Amino acid sequence: MVTRLLLRRVLQAVPLLLGVIVMNFCLIQSVPGTLLDVMTAEQQVTDPALIERLRVTYGMDKPLWQQLLHYINSVVHLDLGYSYRHNLPVFDVIMAHLPATLVLMLASLLIAVIVGVSAGVIAAVNVNTWRDTLVSVAAVACFAAPSFWLGIMLIILFSVKLGWFPVGGMTTIGMDYGTGFTGAWHASLDVLHHLALPAVTLGLFYAATYARVMRASMLEVARQDHVRTAQAKGLTRRAVITRHMVRNAMLPVVTLLGLQLGTVLGGSIVVEAVFSWPGIGGVLFDSVMSRNYPVVLGLLVLSSALVIVANIAVDLIYTRLDPRIRTHAS
Amino acid sequence: MRKSRGLSRRQFLYRSASGTLAATSAVLAGTAGWLVSPTRAVAADGVPRRGGTLVASWGGLEPQALFVPGGGGSSPFMTSTKILERLLKIDEKLAFQPVLATDVRASADFRTYTVSLRKNVLWHDGKPFTADDVVYNVQEHWKPIAAGVALKSLKRVSATDAHTVKLEFSSPVPEFFFKSILAGQYQVVVPKHLYAGKDIITNPLNNTPIGTGPWKYGQWVRGSHVAYTRNEQYWNSAQPYPEKLIIRWWGDPASRSAALETGELQVAFSNPVPARDIDRLVKTGKIAVDTKGYENDAWTVTAEFNQRREHVKRREVRQAILHAIDRKFIIDTIYFGRGKPAVSPIFRTNSLFFTDDVPKYPFDPAKANALLDAAGLPRKNGSRFSVNLVAAAWFEENAKLGQYLKQALQDIGITVKLDSLDRATALKRIYSDYDYDIAVSNFTAPLELVPVVTQFFTTDGIVKGAAFRNATGYSNPAMDALVDKLTVETDNAKRQKLAHEFARLAATDVPLVPLVEMESFTLTRTNVRSATTSANVQGDALADVWLAS
Repeated sequence: MVTRLLLRRVLQAVPLLLGVIVMNFCLIQSVPGTLLDVMTAEQQVTDPALIERLRVTYGMDKPLWQQLLHYINSVVHLDLGYSYRHNLPVFDVIMAHLPATLVLMLASLLIAVIVGVSAGVIAAVNVNTWRDTLVSVAAVACFAAPSFWLGIMLIILFSVKLGWFPVGGMTTIGMDYGTGFTGAWHASLDVLHHLALPAVTLGLFYAATYARVMRASMLEVARQDHVRTAQAKGLTRRAVITRHMVRNAMLPVVTLLGLQLGTVLGGSIVVEAVFSWPGIGGVLFDSVMSRNYPVVLGLLVLSSALVIVANIAVDLIYTRLDPRIRTHAS
Repeated sequence: MRKSRGLSRRQFLYRSASGTLAATSAVLAGTAGWLVSPTRAVAADGVPRRGGTLVASWGGLEPQALFVPGGGGSSPFMTSTKILERLLKIDEKLAFQPVLATDVRASADFRTYTVSLRKNVLWHDGKPFTADDVVYNVQEHWKPIAAGVALKSLKRVSATDAHTVKLEFSSPVPEFFFKSILAGQYQVVVPKHLYAGKDIITNPLNNTPIGTGPWKYGQWVRGSHVAYTRNEQYWNSAQPYPEKLIIRWWGDPASRSAALETGELQVAFSNPVPARDIDRLVKTGKIAVDTKGYENDAWTVTAEFNQRREHVKRREVRQAILHAIDRKFIIDTIYFGRGKPAVSPIFRTNSLFFTDDVPKYPFDPAKANALLDAAGLPRKNGSRFSVNLVAAAWFEENAKLGQYLKQALQDIGITVKLDSLDRATALKRIYSDYDYDIAVSNFTAPLELVPVVTQFFTTDGIVKGAAFRNATGYSNPAMDALVDKLTVETDNAKRQKLAHEFARLAATDVPLVPLVEMESFTLTRTNVRSATTSANVQGDALADVWLAS
């Protein structure tokens, strides 16, 4: 049954991906300015012969529909094209930056889920007390504070004033970790040290959403019959909350988590810039600004694939959390 | 000590600018400082110390490739020039210094140049550097790609022996002009044995260059930094001094300034932090600011008037508009005081060619109004006419300047439709489609005026689709004739006079007007020595730099 669900989803993904490619290709082509404008401007190229030579090199002498067909054909062959701007295949460009973004996003989502869900539960169980107010105020503050501002404040406090954490980057440059297990251990610790501030900055932003959603969801579940039944059975308050309320209240949070997993690739541009985290956000931004459409399209294809995978994962988690959904799905 | 040196140098600039011809022509001839020993740069600061790791950055982002044939902008300029060298460099006194060439001699008629190359220079892969490498670069790299039209009159290039190259031109080539090409941003020398027969633009080696420079490619972590190692076989065996060089990029100016404060970053070129942060950083006592080293790469913000459009194509209208612009306000408010009002396309930092004797347009809205009335453009319902103002917002200052100009022009009765555009859109609007009345843009000018500065004003500078050229469509036979003379005049004193005439004509016709000479600056930790020893420091090989303990 799970395999059938998977198969159906994967088949549905094919036209979806094709649509993403065509739509984004048209969108980026309709924006004024081209890669050639940006590149020749940067390189101060004024010789008409050289401009023409570059046009041919980048395949921009062909009509648009040919460029599109050529692109779809290469994606079918699992080739995302070539980024002339990076002098590398698009796939290599993405792979050079993707791991850093994944590490950052997963760490911040982890922080968000743990902090956000706990805060939401605390607020809901203590509804209309000072604890609830405190959580709500903190959530609004974290959500409303711009991430770049929060990031810079954390840098000024923890890096410049206290010197506890590095200002930016993902590793200590030029550090020799040694080899084998100890080497890997030291390397991981170093990355964690650099990861702390950006993950907290981004994590607190997401945590704010989760806290609000979890609180509302808990309050809704609290009114339901099975909770009253559980209380009537004489279960302890703790057992009612953890076994009967939290589990059911988690569903909207999981939905939100699935949606946010999909925004992994582009969602952290600002935080990556503030902490000079070597992720994909900066590449995407620069590629849009320079109309480097092979990279933009490659990233969009990849992130839509990621959204699809994340959604399938969410569906599977639903069936674990709420067995009634399994029967509906089949 | 550093400060007093800076001041005396400033004074030198102004004195030569105000017309001490003899001193200036000695520099123009490029002979001053030829024989000075390479340790000159450090004499004032003591004996350079070996060792340490130098972390450098600049006010922009990571390059697309470490070396981009033809330039690719400031970022690859910075990463490539540590590995790939040029034949000459212009030092901080604006004199040429030998790098890979030990001597450059012109024939009596200035149609032939003989370049003697340094002997016993090795590429990083161990192969010897010879005249064949230079011939290859002239033919396949500089002439078709990197030098633009600067080598247009080159007829033949040949190697007369293993370390001598002869270049023949169809018309006389001024010596300062020729040496400027050799010392120019884009004329790095790449190894023939690794590039010949392949497309130089897409060669994978551009990501991991091999050169003759003081630094060898180590590792490039995309999105973070590039690490260089010491070239133990460098032709100047004493250099470089640090064991390691790291060029690192910060995406955000505020975190760059924090990194300088914690010492994670030791030297940062080309306006690494917002101008308002400088004073705060210097007050910590750990960071020094230096405005030298940008003479051959001076930045300006410009107003460009489209000659194809009604009203602004008239010279008297343009001159009237200039009287409505308060440059002091712009500098104080938008640039935090870090700049000077520009008077012509030749800047004060260019002490070789600058002249103050040009028509100026002081801020005087009443005069602007009177001039527009006299031009037959009276206010009707409060508006004389309307213009489309395009601000190329690749610098945030440009967008602010656009807003200021809109207000300033409306004060004299000109209705403004302002478009603040991102990089690609602005490039297309201004330089490909010529779709604007007035544009706010920028350019960066080297000391030599031909061709970079002159092409903004000459008829042959009008190339559709070529950015930072004559997009205004200005075409004046007198200007073309003047630039033609400047291109072939070989007498330095006469050349300087021609340059002054050029400045006066450009400041009279005002098709394109530099408004502010933007000040560039370098920030260093106070233990960094000799970080600025050339007239374009971002592309300096950083061979002289060392770290005091």
